[in-house]
Amino acid sequence: MNRLNQLPTLRINPSEKLSLSYRGKSYQGVAGDTVATALYANGVRVFARSLKYHRPRGLYSLDGECSNTCMDVNSIPNIRTENTLLKDGMVVKEQNVMGSADRDWLSFIDKLDWMMPAGFYYKTMHKPASMWPVAMKQIRKAAGLGVISADYQMKGQYDELFLKAEVTVIGGGAAGMTAALAAAESGQRVVLLESRPHLGGCFDYRVSATGDGTPLYERARELAEKVEQTGNIRVFKHTSMVGAYNNNLITGFQVGNADDVFTERYIEIRSNSVVVATGCIERPLIFDHNERPGVMQAGCAHRMARTYGLLPGSEAVFSVGHDLGLEAAVDLFDLGLKINCVADIREDGQNAELMLALAERKIPVLKGWVASKAHGSKKVEKVTLSTVEGTVKRDFPCDLLVASAGLTPVTGPFILAQAKMGYDSHTGYFLPTELPAKMFPAGRITGINNPGSIEASGRLAGLKAAAAAGADMGKTVADAEKAASTLPGPERGCKLVTAPVKGRKSFICFDEDTTIKNIKQAIDMGFDVPELIKRFTSAGTGPGQGGIPGHNLPLFVAKYTASINTPVPTTVRPPLVPTFLATYAGYNHHMFKHTPLNDSQKADGGIFRNIGVWQRARYFSDDFECKEEILNVRNNVGMLDGSTLGKFRIHGPDALKAFQRVYVSDMSKVKEGRIKYSAMCNDDGCVMDDGVVVKLGENDYYFTTSSGRAGQTVEWIRYHTRFDGWDFHLVNLTDAMGVINLSGPNARKVLAKVVDIDLSNEAFPFSGYKEFFIKDTIFVRAMRLGFVGEISYELHVPSSCTQAVWDMLKEAGAEFGIRNFGVEAQNVLRMEKCHIILGQESEQRTNLLDVGLGFLWDRKKADAKTVGAVALRQAEKDVGRLKLVGISMEDDTRAAREGALIVDNKVRGYVATMRKSFTTGEAVGMALVESQLADKGTRLEIFEDECNGVRLYARVVPMPFYDPTGERMKN
Amino acid sequence: MGEIKRESPVRFTASPTKSEVRDNWTVALEYDEEGQGPWLVDLAHKTRWDLQDNKVGEQRPGDLTVPSAPGDCTFANNTLVNRMNRTQASIYHLGAAAPAMPDFSGYTDVTESTVFLALFGPNAFFIAEKLASLDFLDPAKTAPFLYQGPFCHVPCQIVTLEKAADGAGGFLLTCSRGYGDSMVHAILEAGVEFGLRPAGENCFNTWAQGLQG
Repeated sequence: MNRLNQLPTLRINPSEKLSLSYRGKSYQGVAGDTVATALYANGVRVFARSLKYHRPRGLYSLDGECSNTCMDVNSIPNIRTENTLLKDGMVVKEQNVMGSADRDWLSFIDKLDWMMPAGFYYKTMHKPASMWPVAMKQIRKAAGLGVISADYQMKGQYDELFLKAEVTVIGGGAAGMTAALAAAESGQRVVLLESRPHLGGCFDYRVSATGDGTPLYERARELAEKVEQTGNIRVFKHTSMVGAYNNNLITGFQVGNADDVFTERYIEIRSNSVVVATGCIERPLIFDHNERPGVMQAGCAHRMARTYGLLPGSEAVFSVGHDLGLEAAVDLFDLGLKINCVADIREDGQNAELMLALAERKIPVLKGWVASKAHGSKKVEKVTLSTVEGTVKRDFPCDLLVASAGLTPVTGPFILAQAKMGYDSHTGYFLPTELPAKMFPAGRITGINNPGSIEASGRLAGLKAAAAAGADMGKTVADAEKAASTLPGPERGCKLVTAPVKGRKSFICFDEDTTIKNIKQAIDMGFDVPELIKRFTSAGTGPGQGGIPGHNLPLFVAKYTASINTPVPTTVRPPLVPTFLATYAGYNHHMFKHTPLNDSQKADGGIFRNIGVWQRARYFSDDFECKEEILNVRNNVGMLDGSTLGKFRIHGPDALKAFQRVYVSDMSKVKEGRIKYSAMCNDDGCVMDDGVVVKLGENDYYFTTSSGRAGQTVEWIRYHTRFDGWDFHLVNLTDAMGVINLSGPNARKVLAKVVDIDLSNEAFPFSGYKEFFIKDTIFVRAMRLGFVGEISYELHVPSSCTQAVWDMLKEAGAEFGIRNFGVEAQNVLRMEKCHIILGQESEQRTNLLDVGLGFLWDRKKADAKTVGAVALRQAEKDVGRLKLVGISMEDDTRAAREGALIVDNKVRGYVATMRKSFTTGEAVGMALVESQLADKGTRLEIFEDECNGVRLYARVVPMPFYDPTGERMKN
Repeated sequence: MGEIKRESPVRFTASPTKSEVRDNWTVALEYDEEGQGPWLVDLAHKTRWDLQDNKVGEQRPGDLTVPSAPGDCTFANNTLVNRMNRTQASIYHLGAAAPAMPDFSGYTDVTESTVFLALFGPNAFFIAEKLASLDFLDPAKTAPFLYQGPFCHVPCQIVTLEKAADGAGGFLLTCSRGYGDSMVHAILEAGVEFGLRPAGENCFNTWAQGLQG
């Protein structure tokens, strides 16, 4: 197909060839083409088959208003090829066809429409019930859009952008651009969004002139240049607005060009005020076979020629209801299109100059006439025109039928901003009856079509928006208002919805194959509200987001029901324009925390897992039971990276008071040089956190929390002291200090080689705390703890030095065979000692007493002052609470899974932790069971998922399982 | 046992062409092809203090006043004092060496707690807007000013030191040390389209000195 390569309006670059593959053949397009225009240039007319009836579908709009051109592009289905820019090497396939788009074996379904009345899937194939699964499979095979491979991996880079602006302008047509320029005069930050790849809107492709004789496309380019050169306007082209939320939060997405680093990017704009200059789309004309390939909207036909250099047909008939249609006819005729007839729905009110231009070109014009039927099978071959009353009919041959009932404003942004919409009987538009706060309409959306009015309206809206955002624009706004008032206002719109047809094959919604007959059926069944009819018939629920039926449906319903009320529009919801989920996911930065020892742990073979916000080494070999790691700690010495522990300083005159409030123990008993283990409860007495506290000075403490609770600790303490006005301060040192846990019978010997302090059991006993320097440089806080049940030193060192200390210990321990142990080995080691981990051996229902930590509670503290104490005192007398018990499996080769249920004739508890203990040789663990089952020796029945009725059995045994006297960790 | 080496939470894939050892830190002074900006500089070795007291406004860290309004900052003599809330301020020492911490219990050295980065140069804020929903270019704010909010979903302190409407300028960012790798990766990825490169302390010093006159 030859291109009109010399037109000044073109948005393609004919000299830059791009290739695409379709049906195994290679085709050529040019830069600036969409996938659909490139295919059209290569003679493709049938792009897809419809959802339900498998009717052939062709190019109808160019802004993605329907699914007619949805295709599979590069293995991604449902791509709206009419507004997807062509990239070199794209692979395009038809979708929802058996055979090809041209020859679809399922097209016979079109003849079975009588079997599929409105809502048929709600009513049929449900009886007998067993039929439904069979029917559903067949329906899914035959109906639908594209199919994505389960193995498909999304390619591309998906980015995010969070913008701030005083004024956001949605729509980069003439009104949007003048609005942006006007708002920018205030010096405020302005963001302009345009969904097409270029600015210009409805001026961009038109050669008719403005008041001063400048062709509209030239004026559009002048404005675009000004906008792009204005420093405080940020222009985002190929960017669709998709959402509007409270306080003028506007969201959208931008499609990247070949030069951009992103494929698509999500954009979020927090804006003080918004100008909506989204213009109009065409309101489809409804007649028989109104979606036959070869039927297209006036704007589509016009832009095909002027923007893409493609004459959309050779012999055309126009059936339109607005002057833009007449203008398109004149211009396309001048470009070489033969026009057999122009049928204008309107009896009068046409632009006189356009009527004269048509007459000069000897194009027959029928006023008060409309297309009533498009003939042909896979493309239009002939059209029947009739008077709007249907009294007289005439046939015209054609291969292009340009059809458009009128215009409809793109009011999605207003609806999303919760504007109430009402029917304007002059324009025939649904318009906001009351504007949302700081949101202003501009341009054709208000019903105006005069170019001067469009620009004046944009300027006024831009100035008002700037003023609403805080700029002093009083006089300028008044001047702009005065200027706009002298120009032509909103034009009377065409009200006709359907040609005089019965509607069996007159489609109101192309995406869902919904016909006028279906709408009538729904109304006859009692549905009288467009929102309900929409749901019952599916009209407007397809990928076009209601672009085709959105306006016609409520008008038709009002007419068919002879409603005396004004029509009520259906609503729209975000996203206004569909896009990839990948775009919403954005860049998806993996924001995880690493400990200071992360790299060396990896180098040592650590296998990492995400644990909360941290990535931690869970194993150090492929043996996920960690036998060697565990036995090395029990028999020798191991090192664990415990840097994720929460670590805090609390200081200030009332620090102790705050501690007394949140800890269950009497914290005044914390002695210098000693550590104190305690726990925090919530008001119900349930344990929230545990850790150790050391005293640094008077009202100055260093304390630890569990890794998972570190983030909440400061808020927790402040919350529980919020009414007291106490003077204390908290500093989160979690990341400031790395923690090395050196454990095992040889731990003391290893540490002794690195530090210069007395490590004897007398000088540094269990529960002791010391501060010292390594090599006079590295400050260390050292604690004698025993979480894993062996001699254990927890060394807290500045994070930047943690690796250095680790390396020293590793070198010192080499002669003992020191090795790393990970979180899983630690888990088993502490389980053997029955040292609990909160969250693992506790849950929402379990309090301090239930998990065996009652010894921490100092009952002499004033109850009302200790969080949870009142509840604990009451719970002491409760029977039937969950209790933490030690359990041992009857079959030592088979440990029950964590979370397995303990049952008799009902659920009586569950297994909290259980592992095969290499130290004891038994499968042991801890379980939370109802207190009646907590007696030692009780036999427990365990139910696991997928156990196929085979139960496991365990017995309650004394805790701990290992070194019950604590000799090993204390000496 | 080898020499004690302090490790920054931040690692760039590029190696510095010029560096020096300072207080056991290996400080990168220059990188190859630092370019014309924007630049990302690791300042982990710079001393930071936390100051908390009920009368925090009466303190004079580095002989500077603590600003009275949360979000305000004082910047002079290579010291930046950022008022965080009613009782708290953060203090960044941007010079080669920090003074001794005052003998007052309200101070805590938090140098080890955080990642400390400077992102500055042309388009610096266009990189930031890819990662944070904070209004760094708010015309109502005069640099320096402090934001405490999410940057790439991580709670951060961010001090804007210089800003221009064209997105140029720069800021300092601190967040939990553990996020070092993730944060630097995210920032460098976001900065690819603007030519963001790692730079050394010299580049930062030139900028910081310029801001102080």
